[in-house]
Amino acid sequence: MKLKKGLAVVMTAVLCAGMFAGCSGASAKSDVSTKEALNYACTKDIRDINPHLYSGEMSAQNMVFEGLTKNEGGEVKPALAESWEISADGLEYTFHLREGVTFTDGAPFNAAAVKLNMDAILGNAERHSWLDMVNEIKENVVVDEHTFKLVLKHPYYPTLVELGLTRPFRFISPNCFVNGTTKEGVSGYIGTGPWVLSEHVDNQYATFTQNETYWGDKTKIKTINWKVMPDSQTILLALQNGEVDLLFGADGDQVDLDSYKKLEDEGAYKTYISEPVASRAILINSNSPITKDIKVREAIEYAVNKENIIQGILNNSEDQADTLLSKDVPYCDIDFKTIAYNQEKAQQLLDEAGWKPGSDGVREKDGQKCEIILSYNSKNAQEGTIATSIQADLAAVGIKMNILGEEKQAFLDRQKTGDFDLQYSLSWGTPYDPQSYVSSWRIPAHGDYQAQVGLEKKQWLDETITKIMIESDDSKRADMYKEVLTYINDQYVYVPISYSKTKAVGIKGLEGVSFNDSQYEIPFEKMYFSN
Amino acid sequence: MKQYFVKRLLWMIPILIGISFFAFILINLSPSDPAEVAIRVNEITPTAENVAQMREQLGLDDPFLTRYATWLGNALQGDFGHSYVNNKPVAQEIAKALPPTLYLAGVSLMIIVVVSVGVGVLCAVKEDSLTDKALRGIVFVGTAIPGFWAGILLMWLFAVKLKWLPTSGMTAPGAVILPAVTLALGYISTYVRLIRNTMIQNKRENYVLYGRVRGLSEKTITRHVFKNSLQTSLTALGMSIPKLIAGTVVIENIFAWPGIGRLCVTAIFNRDFPMIQAYVLIMAVLFVFCNLLVDMGSVWIDPRRREA
Repeated sequence: MKLKKGLAVVMTAVLCAGMFAGCSGASAKSDVSTKEALNYACTKDIRDINPHLYSGEMSAQNMVFEGLTKNEGGEVKPALAESWEISADGLEYTFHLREGVTFTDGAPFNAAAVKLNMDAILGNAERHSWLDMVNEIKENVVVDEHTFKLVLKHPYYPTLVELGLTRPFRFISPNCFVNGTTKEGVSGYIGTGPWVLSEHVDNQYATFTQNETYWGDKTKIKTINWKVMPDSQTILLALQNGEVDLLFGADGDQVDLDSYKKLEDEGAYKTYISEPVASRAILINSNSPITKDIKVREAIEYAVNKENIIQGILNNSEDQADTLLSKDVPYCDIDFKTIAYNQEKAQQLLDEAGWKPGSDGVREKDGQKCEIILSYNSKNAQEGTIATSIQADLAAVGIKMNILGEEKQAFLDRQKTGDFDLQYSLSWGTPYDPQSYVSSWRIPAHGDYQAQVGLEKKQWLDETITKIMIESDDSKRADMYKEVLTYINDQYVYVPISYSKTKAVGIKGLEGVSFNDSQYEIPFEKMYFSN
Repeated sequence: MKQYFVKRLLWMIPILIGISFFAFILINLSPSDPAEVAIRVNEITPTAENVAQMREQLGLDDPFLTRYATWLGNALQGDFGHSYVNNKPVAQEIAKALPPTLYLAGVSLMIIVVVSVGVGVLCAVKEDSLTDKALRGIVFVGTAIPGFWAGILLMWLFAVKLKWLPTSGMTAPGAVILPAVTLALGYISTYVRLIRNTMIQNKRENYVLYGRVRGLSEKTITRHVFKNSLQTSLTALGMSIPKLIAGTVVIENIFAWPGIGRLCVTAIFNRDFPMIQAYVLIMAVLFVFCNLLVDMGSVWIDPRRREA
């Protein structure tokens, strides 16, 4: 008994000691202008940030690795290439590389390093099948030490934009290659970017420090501590506790809307919201028994009360969308037929389609109930809430919509087989819109493809999209985009809901918080502390 | 004792084979094609060709029993295959995530023992008094609060308001306290009740009456009563160890604790089958072994059970 008593005392003492140690570990409020490290919380670990693969966090890849070009303010700007020339036939791009640039391990960045990287990307073309650009590259040529030539099979028009995407066309030091390639992994994460990954503990944290030999403007903050916190409530509490200085994320990833509004109202933190970046829409399957009828699809468009969703659920934090892609997106400033919320019109269309009101309020046709399914990835709570609003809208016109929240893999299974009536469709935003988004409509594993399969002119649609990508004449390209987008608009395959925005919350004193063109990047290099 | 031990060990073989079979069969019960999942988690668009190639690479075209035998053979040598998500060996990932979980479960167990014994004995000694009722009330309320909510409440109080402890993570000093307390909350009331009830039962036994007649002090009597009441609690506590390790899933997510629970949840979301199978198997083995240890322990304490 004495032993047990002693043990209990020791245990209590250990716990108390831990508690007191915890006291000293808690952060104290101080003058932030002297802070040298920014603590950023993310629900995900940075994982494998090999720039030529897709399993790492894009914002971390963007910190360390750079491309020949970059997308900034809707334009393509020089990055590791100082300038370039394009041949008259649009097949050859000659890049003049920035001189004096080295990878952070000292290896020179030159045309040979560019070729090695580009060849490694091409050597794993299957992984990049979502990006047409990879299939369009014919040859990578080293012209001289600082000149690199890219030879294409066709005059692929988004070349410069896609070379500036966060992945895969970014450059990693040749010393990190394994067996001359990067597809089976790399031996280190050495780039030319403004940050150096100096420490990474799986699923806990990553530390990025300033690249002291960076060719451009050096970062104002010395260190970024990337903390992994899987739970968004924990992130909010950590922010309040001073353990975190910045939350940043698209589509409710790090900051859900309610919390964002609360923090904004409290005024203790600075909140930031980007310009509209991507499109949020509902896909209506044209190949599904009930929604294959164009009148039903049109009726659904009329029945959805977007204003309710924008005001009631999205708290006006996103702009209402009347067309699939915003007019600000290249080639999308087109006068489409738009549809305003009108329940009577929806009912009239359903009547015309032969769906008559049933005794229980659900419409019927040939003994079949007008019952459809909206499936979504259950991890996205916001999508679930939006679904309930749509459910109520459709019930009001006699369509019973069942909501099916599923795990990501089950959701993707359903998407791939087209086994859904309604699903969410999110475009990737600038700089991927419209070319990469529209391009993905041709891939059978995508929900967009499956939802469009029932369209009479699907084959024409896919063929035209293929032609758009390699059309060198800008006005012809614009005409083709117009044809494609008008057809899709008039077939009512998408119910445009909103144009999403990226949100950020920072502590007071953290300045320079802004947004890159891509919602997947975080411009840490522009941030600084000041009082 | 030796014979009993050998018998029990032999019995474990069919049990473990059965468990391994169920862990393996999981892959076939899932509606998703493992080859497709393996392709998709790497952000590759599945096509007929790459799915066929992946099936061959993963050996999914072999007959079911052949695949099971290969997997079991490899698992026995500590090779659980490679994760579909990051292609790292599953065994290595588990070996990395297990120590933080064991640490968390260990501290939690300490809290459970200290609090349960303290409160349980006090409640038994002060049977039906206000202290007894109040303590039991508090403990039961603590247990009734779901772990994720209790975790957030504790974090808010001790980290944000009092600034005594960090909210989450593993690096800051004292970081283990909040997750360990949250994890312990769910178990404390069980043991408080168990210790209290067994002690009260024991108090009515003849040996207590005999002790009193002999003029032993109340303190000595309580000590004997406590000793005799321990066996039931020890058995239950033994079985709680694997439960504690397997039950860290929610707590690890809230407190950003890089343990095996988080590894398992991520694996489930990604349908990372090799990881899920290994997790299920390891947890099952842990349960079986703890069960054996508890049985051996109770037989050692009470030889009468050997015949049973």
